[in-house]
Order: sequence, then structure tokens, then C-alpha cells
Amino acid sequence: MKPETIKHTRRHLRIAGAVALVLGMAGTTPAVAAQDPGREVIDKKCASCHLEDGKLTRIPEVRKTPEGWDMTVVRMGIWHKVELTPDERRAVVKYLADRQGLAPSEAAAFRFLTERRPNMQDAPPDEEMAQMCGRCHSYGRVALQRRDEDEWRKLMHTHLGQFPSAEYSALGRDRNWWEIARDKMPGRLAEMYPKNTDAWRDWSRAKHRPAAGRWIVAGERPGWGAYTGTMTVTAKGSDRYEVGYELHFGPGNTVRGKGESLVYTGYEWRGTAQLGNEQTQSIFALSEDGARMSGRWFLRKADEIGATFEAVRADKAAKNALVSVSPQMLRAGETATVTVAGAGLDAKLDLGSGVEVVEWLGKSAEQLKVRVKVAADAAPGVRKVAVGGRASDKSVAVYRQIDSLRVEPAFGIARVGGGTNPPVTAQFDAVAFLDGADGKPGTDDDVRLGSVPAKWSTEPFDERAKHDEDLKFAGHMEPHGQFLPSFAGPNPNRRGLNNVGNLSVVATVADGERSLNAKGQLVVTVQRWNPTPLR
Amino acid sequence: MRMLSIKKAPMVIVALCCAAVSLPALAAEYLLTVTRPNNLHIVDPAKRAIVRTINLPGDGIPGAIAVPKDAKTAYVLTNRMESVVGVDLDSGKPVFRADFSTPQRRVKGFFAVAVSEDGKELYVHQAPVQLGRSEYKVEDTYIAVFDTADGMTAKPRRTFPAPRRISLMAATGKPDHLIALGWDMYLFNTKTGKLEQTFPVRHWNRPGIGEPDVLAMWGTFEQARALSTPYFVAKTDVPPDSPEAFKAGIAVFDLDSETLKVKEFENATTAMFSSVVSPVARNEAFLVMNQLTKVDTDTGKLLKRKDLEQTFYAINISGDGKEIYVGGALDKIAIYDADSFEKKGEIQMPGGADQSIGWMRVVKR
Ligand code: HEC
Ligand code: HEC
Repeated sequence: MKPETIKHTRRHLRIAGAVALVLGMAGTTPAVAAQDPGREVIDKKCASCHLEDGKLTRIPEVRKTPEGWDMTVVRMGIWHKVELTPDERRAVVKYLADRQGLAPSEAAAFRFLTERRPNMQDAPPDEEMAQMCGRCHSYGRVALQRRDEDEWRKLMHTHLGQFPSAEYSALGRDRNWWEIARDKMPGRLAEMYPKNTDAWRDWSRAKHRPAAGRWIVAGERPGWGAYTGTMTVTAKGSDRYEVGYELHFGPGNTVRGKGESLVYTGYEWRGTAQLGNEQTQSIFALSEDGARMSGRWFLRKADEIGATFEAVRADKAAKNALVSVSPQMLRAGETATVTVAGAGLDAKLDLGSGVEVVEWLGKSAEQLKVRVKVAADAAPGVRKVAVGGRASDKSVAVYRQIDSLRVEPAFGIARVGGGTNPPVTAQFDAVAFLDGADGKPGTDDDVRLGSVPAKWSTEPFDERAKHDEDLKFAGHMEPHGQFLPSFAGPNPNRRGLNNVGNLSVVATVADGERSLNAKGQLVVTVQRWNPTPLR
Repeated sequence: MRMLSIKKAPMVIVALCCAAVSLPALAAEYLLTVTRPNNLHIVDPAKRAIVRTINLPGDGIPGAIAVPKDAKTAYVLTNRMESVVGVDLDSGKPVFRADFSTPQRRVKGFFAVAVSEDGKELYVHQAPVQLGRSEYKVEDTYIAVFDTADGMTAKPRRTFPAPRRISLMAATGKPDHLIALGWDMYLFNTKTGKLEQTFPVRHWNRPGIGEPDVLAMWGTFEQARALSTPYFVAKTDVPPDSPEAFKAGIAVFDLDSETLKVKEFENATTAMFSSVVSPVARNEAFLVMNQLTKVDTDTGKLLKRKDLEQTFYAINISGDGKEIYVGGALDKIAIYDADSFEKKGEIQMPGGADQSIGWMRVVKR
């Protein structure tokens, strides 16, 4: 061999060895691992910068969600000109998310971010963290990563190195931003979000149940209401599935669909599907025992429009596993038809005191349908539902009247569209409450009854909005509580204001003879220029 | 004149070009401003016209402009804040260029660019980061001193440490003295690199007054020889919901006496980005953003305010104190009467190019 070739071969071996060593955590031998296309990407496309003295730098030191990995890999492309084919990108993200992901318990608190819930409330632990780390992106982006102190510090260097204006902008220039980021944050972050945890050790060692099988599903799509149905998942390779859906949104509104999914890290389900005529994406998590799934699906081009999702596995092992009870609100003194969906259901139903089953309309392992009579003197409040003698986490609420109404979210944001950016709509929901023991609305002991159909309207939020005629320019409210904003760009009729606005969203609900209303706030603002999978 | 890209009013340019050779005696005032992507404009405010447009080398967006006393050369921070380019204002030719960055090390200057009065030295506050193979490393900031005679590949002759986050600098009237505004105001000796004095701003410790928020990104100090900036500050001795709880003020550093004066002048209700002190009534200052504002910096009185037709970031003033120039942000310089605040004229940037965060300086020729 020519010296040049030897050097080359050695270098290659060193790369392969190092990668196997560092990333082959799951006990894979180099020979086996070499066949993983994700490993090959690291070898071919990452090692040129990330191999130092036979060891990979940076890459092995972090754990993140699939979205977190994808954003990093995309950044390698944008900042460091690493060119990957779509297949290579998928392969390396899968490889890294599987071996260096977050345990379900570590990702749980920030699922709302992963699931892209609209108008979510970020949850930084304190003011300093919020101001230091939650002003350019969500705090959740931080909380969904795990590193040691040294690696958190490196990320701080990346930040100021790439965004030097951070220490000149608001909430940066009022403090020694860099000194705090370099000297204080890494220690705090490593304490809250360390690289090595028992949770991850246990999870990465355990075997996880594949998602294949039949699932009973349920959820709620704001504006459409509740649904129940089935999901059939067929394995198509390791962690890869074909999926069929059948969702019943109520009489005459059944949506069928087909799609695919990929499960990362043993539980992070990411799917796409055509449901009816809509292209959707799903972000679910399998429970640790693999018997349940939960999350959210949404429109691929408008992630603010979507539905909650819950599923139980309908296999032989399923025993009185509930996924939904509807309706969840029962009025005292009336009769109603109640449907319970789940898997392995026994025809034995307990809806709590004052709610009596008077007739069975359907009994199957996946659905119980009954006629109930609610006693006129039944105490208002929540009752846990039990099936087959086993208590569940589902409940029904008895009410005499709706005591109060709330608009959710109380504060919503919509964004005008324009150019290649579609407008971002805002979906509101009217939710009924009981006052609870203190007899006062708006307090902690209020009892949530559930979403109720409402009539929607908008008003100027304040005098200024009235003066600027925001109502006229910002957009309009659809009958089901969805606000459609206008298009961006200068509006010659509005000096310097474009089509932004500050509105009150008003829900009006009929409760028998009574009429209740509630208000939320809607800010219609400018476009977001860089939509990212993790805000 | 071959080098010049003549974009507007060719007649005027001809007049200036011929006059320029023998002009200094007349001591006319010109405005310098910059637009995207990378142009420097010489504006004759009396004629309300751009007389020359100089295309700067490098990537935009041009920002800070430093000019020595003789006003022969303008030094412009550009190239994503990674270079200073000096151009000869008569010929339009680049005569100086300092590229701060190398492939392994990215170095930015955040507006803090100053030139010595004699034009021999250029000072740049620099924020470096090492670009390792798989890791970035932020390094400490410092002030780099360039020799303006070093031509098109100038490297720092020397450097001295300086706090982070400095955004404005100016040579004071004393030899080798440089004032830098960051969290506080720092007076450096440029020969020794010594920090000779700190004028506290963030750390001013005034009873009942919190730490001010200062966003000083526009340097305009040539007319009154006073570097000034608006600031905003919380009053800590009134309830937070009181209208008095948040104040707007102005800080003025006198470049000759090397003294700092701060004065609150109103309950903060509106943002102001930059300010300029009148060279004839030195207690009067003008501030701008969505409004034009005039204040008395001795008494802290708000003297006058007017809503403007658009947002302006940068402000300057004529040598006789009679005209206010507002620019920056969009594609226009507007001229206002300093007493009546009546609009007296405007100058449109060629091609509707935005001045963005660029400065606007006055030079006397
Ligand atoms: C051309 C050089 C280059 C290549 C090739 C490269 N990187 Fe990087 N990588 C860097 C640099 C420089 C940094 C530090 C700055 C940054 O974070 O972007 C970095 C940082 C990282 C980090 C740490 C980021 C963090 O803070 O979480 C990870 C992880 C990473 N790279 C993964 C990869 C992967 C995976 C590949 C291959 C698909 C890759 N890199 C290819 C240059 C490269
Ligand atoms: C000046 C704005 C800004 C501030 C302040 C900021 N970030 Fe970021 N951060 C960003 C941007 C922009 C990105 C996306 C970089 C990219 O393109 O991948 C990012 C990305 C991240 C990522 C994902 C990086 C990766 O490769 O996985 C993490 C984690 C993060 N930031 C943590 C923090 C922490 C911790 C703090 C507080 C100390 C913080 N950020 C403060 C702008 C900011």
C-alpha cells in the first residue's frame, strides 16, 4: 500500500471505531452498526469536522428530541455547508434520536411544545431563565435538551458567537449577558437538564413495544367537537408503520384516512396522513408500557389547526381501558345517551352517584352505549367513570346550569399572511364551568364541564383598537370560533399599521333560557419569518 | 470622477466636483449618510440634493461613519460589521480597508468606530469569536487601533482590553483620549490603553432611580462636540403603576470638558432612538424616532414635540443650529426648522434604498 492509502485507511478505521464506540450505546458491534445508514452519514458527512484524536466531538455529548436533532442537522447545513440528501437527513436524525434522545419522563413537561399546541404557555422556572433563555425562542427548546455543564457552555459560545447582537438587544444590554450565559447558566442548566440520568439509562436499556396493532382513539378538534374511532397500525420495517384511521366526529361526519409513521426513541411517534381531504401530521407519544398513545395531530400547512389525540391498544391484554366518555356534561333531571369508548370493556358501567343507567343501547368490547337518567337532586360536580369495576381517569360532570363561561385560550395570537407565508389563524373554544364550592366564578375550585357550542363575534379590545378600526382590517371570525386574519403588507388605508389588530373575542352560549358570554383577547400581529419545529 | 456612480442630479455633481478643489474656504456643510446595500451618499442639505454616491466595497449593510476633522476621508463600518472601509470623499476612491475577520476568527464591531481628530488613527471596539472545527469560542472584547496610513490591508497596530457591549466611541478634545459608551462611559488613553476614568451610567447609584436602558447606536457629536443619547429609566421611589414610574432622559458627554451630564425630562411614553445637541444653544437637544422632540438639558423641560410622517432613527443639526436633519430607517432625509419644527424639505435616497441603521454625519468642507 502506498503511504497515502494507508493513512487514509487508518483514518477511516479510526472514524469507524470512534463512531461505534461513542454512538453504539445499545451494544451494537461496529460490524452491525456499520449497516445503519445513520451511522454511515456521521462517518461520511460529519466526521470531517467532528473527529478529533479518534473521537467524535460534540455529537455524542447531547441528547435531544427528534425535532431538536433535526434542527441541529439543518443548522449544520445552513451554517457549515453540510450537504445531506433528504434520506441522509432522515437517517442521521433517526439514528441520533434513538441513541441520544429523551426518556418519556424527561420530555413530558414540554410536550405542548413538541405537539405545537397553539397559544401555549411557555414554562420557564424563573424570571432569569425566562429573560436569558426564553426571549428569542421558547424556553421549552432549552428544556428539551440534556447536556453536561461543559456542553451547555459550548452552546452559549455558539449563541453569542453566532448572534453577537444578543448582548446589545433588549434583555441583553441591561445585564452582563455574556458573563451570566458563560459563567452561571451552564451550571444551572446542567443541574436541571443533565446528560446522564437514571430515566434515560433505564429507558435506553429497555425494550419497547412496537406500535403495530389496532387502537381505539378519541380526541377533540376545536371548532369540530369530539371524535372517537380506530387506528390500525401495520409494521413496515423497524419503527416504520402504515396507518389507517377512521374517526367519527358525530352522526354523519366520519373521516377516513391513511398515512405512515416513524417511531423515534422507542416512543416518539411522528406521522403523516391524509384524513378526509386534509393533509395532516401527527406527533404522539407512546406510554412507557406501550399500551396507550397521546398527542396531537394538525394540518401540515397550518399547525395551529388540529385535534387532541388519545389512544388505547385494542389487543387481548386490554382490560377496561377507556379512551373517552361523551358527553362529559350531564344536566340534572334529564336523560341522555352516553357513549364510552375503549378497549376490553366489560358491560358494567358506573357513572357515579345520581347518574343511573336506565337502558343499554350497545355493548361491545370497544364501545358501551347507554341511556342514563340523571336525578333531579344529583349533586353538581365531577364523577369518575368506572368500567368493569375498575376506576378510570375519565369523568362526567353533573350540572344544573352553566355557572360561567371561559374563552380558551384567554389570549390568542393570529398572524397575517403574505408572500409565501400563509396566515396563521387562531382557534377559540368556549368552555363551561361550575363555580365550585365557593360559589364564585374564576377561582381555583371552579369545575370544568367541557367545551360547549357558541356563537362567536369580535369587538375592538380597547379605545385605541376602536380608533384604528382594527375590527375592519385585521380579519374575520368564522362561525366555529376560528379567526382568519387578513393579508400582510402595507394597507394604504392604515398609516403604518398594516393589518394588525387587538380584538376581544366574544363567545355567547345559550344554557336553557339563559345566555352567557365570555371574552378572550386576540392579537393579530405580523408574520413569523422562520417557522421552526420547536419554537 | 470615473469611479463615482452618479445617480442623481448630475448638474449639481458637476458643480461640486469643480468647486471641491478650491472649496475649503467656503466651509459649506454636507451630510454623509449610507444606504443598503452598500452606498455612501454626500448630501448638500442647502440644495436638498445628493451630490455624490460612492459605492463601498464589501458586503453591506453600512452603519457607523467616522470622519476626521479635515473631512477628507469617511470611514464606514460595513461588510456585516466586519470591516471598516475608508473612502476619499473627493475622488470616491477607497483609500483604507481593515477586514477584522479571518476564516478561523469572526470579529464584529458594533457601531463603536472612531477616528482621532488628526485622522491618523482609527479605533474600533471588537467582539471576536474563534470558529473552531466543531466549536465556537467567544473571546473578550477589546479596542483595536489602526493606522489610517496602512491602506487597503490594514491590521491593528495595537489593541487594549475594553468592556463588552460598547456601542459608541469618539475622540475627545484631549490628545489620545477616547470616550466609549457601553454600560457606563469609559475614558481610555489610546496610547497606553489605560482606562483612565469611568463615568457611571448603569452603575450611577442615584437614589430613587434605577439602572437606565441605553440603546446608543447613532453617533452625532460633531456640531456641538457633545456625544449624547436618550435613555429610559425606572423610578424606584414611586409605585410601579404611577405615570412617574418610568422616565425618559438624555445623557450628554461634553467632548472638550470630558464631563457627563444626565437629565430626565419626561414620563416615558414614547421611544426615542437618537439625539443631538445644538451647537448654538448648548442646553438644547433634539431627539427622534416617531416624533421630533426638543428638550432643555439643564432644566429637564420638554420644549417641543411633533409627530413625524414616518420613523427616523438618526438625527443631526446644521452648524448654525437652525435646521434639524432626520434620517435612517427608511429612504429619506427630512429637514425641519429647529424652532418652529416646520418641515422645510426632504431628500429622497436613490432607488428608494433604506438607510436602515446607518448613521448621518455632518462634515464641513
Ligand atoms: C464543516 C464542518 C462541520 C460538519 C461537516 C458538521 N458539523 Fe456539526 N458543528 C460544526 C461546528 C463549527 C459546530 C459548532 C457551532 C454550531 O453549533 O453550529 C458544530 C456543532 C455541532 C453540534 C453541537 C450543537 C449543539 O449545541 O447541540 C452537533 C450535535 C453537531 N454539530 C452535529 C453534526 C452532525 C450530526 C453532522 C453531520 C450531519 C455535523 N455536525 C457536521 C461544524 C460541522
Ligand atoms: C438572541 C436570541 C437568543 C437567546 C437570548 C437565546 N437563544 Fe437559544 N437559540 C437562538 C437561535 C436563533 C437558535 C437556533 C439556532 C439554529 O439555527 O439552529 C437557538 C437554538 C437554541 C438551542 C437548540 C440548539 C441545538 O442545536 O440543538 C438551544 C438548546 C438553545 N438555543 C438554548 C438557549 C439557552 C440555554 C439560552 C439562554 C442562556 C438561549 N438559548 C438564549 C437564539 C437565542
